[in-house]
Amino acid sequence: MTALSPASTADAPNTSPEQEPDLRRGEFPGRGRVGLLIHQIRYEQLSFWRNPQAVIFTFLLPVVVVTIFGAVFGGDEKQDFFFGMSGMEYYTPTIAAVSVLGACYGQLAIVLSTRRQTGLLKRLRATPLPAWVYFVGLLVHCVLVSLVDVVLVIGVGALYGVALPTHWTALALTLVLGAASFCALGAGVASLVRSAEAAPALVQFIQFPLVFISGSYFPIHAGVLNTIAGLLPVKPFNEAMLAPFTHGGGYQWKELGVLAAWGVLGALVAVRRFRWDPRPE
Amino acid sequence: MTAVVVEGLQKTYGSHEVLRGIDFTVTEGEIFALLGPNGAGKTTTLEILEGFRGRDKGRVKVLGLDPGLPGDSRRLRERVGLVLQDIAVEPYLSVRETIARNAGYYRAPRDVDEVIELVGLREKRAAKVKDLSGGQKRRLDLAMGVVGDPRLLFLDEPTTGFDPSARRSAWEVVQDLRASGTTIVLTTHYMDEVQALADSVAVIADGRIVESGTPATLGGRDSAFARIRFELPPGTKVSDLPVRASTATEGALVTIEVEEPTAVLHSLTDWALRRGTTLQRLTVERPSLEDVYLEITRSFEREPSQQSVATRGHRPNRSHS
Repeated sequence: MTALSPASTADAPNTSPEQEPDLRRGEFPGRGRVGLLIHQIRYEQLSFWRNPQAVIFTFLLPVVVVTIFGAVFGGDEKQDFFFGMSGMEYYTPTIAAVSVLGACYGQLAIVLSTRRQTGLLKRLRATPLPAWVYFVGLLVHCVLVSLVDVVLVIGVGALYGVALPTHWTALALTLVLGAASFCALGAGVASLVRSAEAAPALVQFIQFPLVFISGSYFPIHAGVLNTIAGLLPVKPFNEAMLAPFTHGGGYQWKELGVLAAWGVLGALVAVRRFRWDPRPE
Repeated sequence: MTAVVVEGLQKTYGSHEVLRGIDFTVTEGEIFALLGPNGAGKTTTLEILEGFRGRDKGRVKVLGLDPGLPGDSRRLRERVGLVLQDIAVEPYLSVRETIARNAGYYRAPRDVDEVIELVGLREKRAAKVKDLSGGQKRRLDLAMGVVGDPRLLFLDEPTTGFDPSARRSAWEVVQDLRASGTTIVLTTHYMDEVQALADSVAVIADGRIVESGTPATLGGRDSAFARIRFELPPGTKVSDLPVRASTATEGALVTIEVEEPTAVLHSLTDWALRRGTTLQRLTVERPSLEDVYLEITRSFEREPSQQSVATRGHRPNRSHS
């Protein structure tokens, strides 16, 4: 009964249990791996949008912040303080970047460590769902939440008279790369944190100083600080987000490179240290 | 046909030998109960069978596959269901969504509504998981364990915290699953549950199987002495009784252990009637499964590692098997 059968029999729905599909190749009868991925994304979306805490803190907060900033820094007067931009021309992209941070880095770190602690990940590991479908599903889910958030933030900016981005493809590339990198960093932090209780604190302990020194909430004019922040992931993301909004700005390859490097680092930590079991050996 | 084979299974954490050579087999289609005190190695054994833990030594086959090999373990996920001790469910999905999500992970899942019916959650199908009671969440957990239509189901203390009627209906679900051909490996601390469900039983203590059999024969229970108990009538002494009370009084009750109680009961009741008195609180019973279980595990709880396991395991067995 241990005999392996060729994977070609997988399409028959009522094969005996010995004739199993190769799940690594995503062979599911009547539905491909894409179908399974969509299935998974759909349930991630349901879990997210029904959770008021997640919607308020992860999704709505950046929209509220950019609305308040609009009331405070409104007006289209160009200022040296904002590097020759108006207040909202500066804040619309940076707060959009903050929303990606929350939807990807913060959300993933907290969701993964909570699910591990409650045993959900362990249980998931006992189902035939391939791990890559689970993680790609989470990634796509986070990107979708980020996209809606960014659109809303840009919309609020537009209400305050900020011109729409001039370079949409640069913006799209920056968003996808940023979302993927911050997802990887979130998964990396979730792999290092021990308990779900510690996760929100650790997430904020890292994120809070980082967004401040990266100029997300106010422009930084200190050269040394900018040099340091430029090597960390948030400031390059801010820069790459700002560029498509300004005339003539396009792909910020150096910034995108730094961002991608951090993403790879996060992914390496996650792959090496990720645990499914709340109480490992 | 065997569903599970375990031979000489050993596992050590640091310097602590958790499993010292476990052997048992589970026949396909039966309910197999693994009993033992907390810390005896039940959960470790289950987790090795489920593929969550590696082993140090021994042979393990689950449905003919080795859960210690990544490829086999992946194949087993399609055929094995499990219900773990802790409840773990997404709070904001509904009952039906939760089950439908997991059904989507399997190649040939059971019908979602049929599973909802099976675990008795039909009225709660649209309710959010966070609004369910503890027992209802446990039933949802069971639904997730069976939705993949497993050939083998692991149930780790499935009715802990249930009220008596919820326990009865959970038993019915488990019996229905056996009737449909599912093999079930169960751990529990409730001996009435073992009595009601299990076809065979193994007791694990101090990292070894110290007894195995059926609920009726475990520990020589079927051939054990019957125990007659009653209150000594006022003004009488144990030495006044017509039969030798082989055991000392326990509280106010006299205990007599006999192989066959008919004759002894006759002489006792005759003695009482002639004296114009009665035998208050008279009972005749064979040791319950719980008595036998406590007897088996007692010595291990006192001295977990110094006890000579070999002699204990091979002590003369009174059963006729």
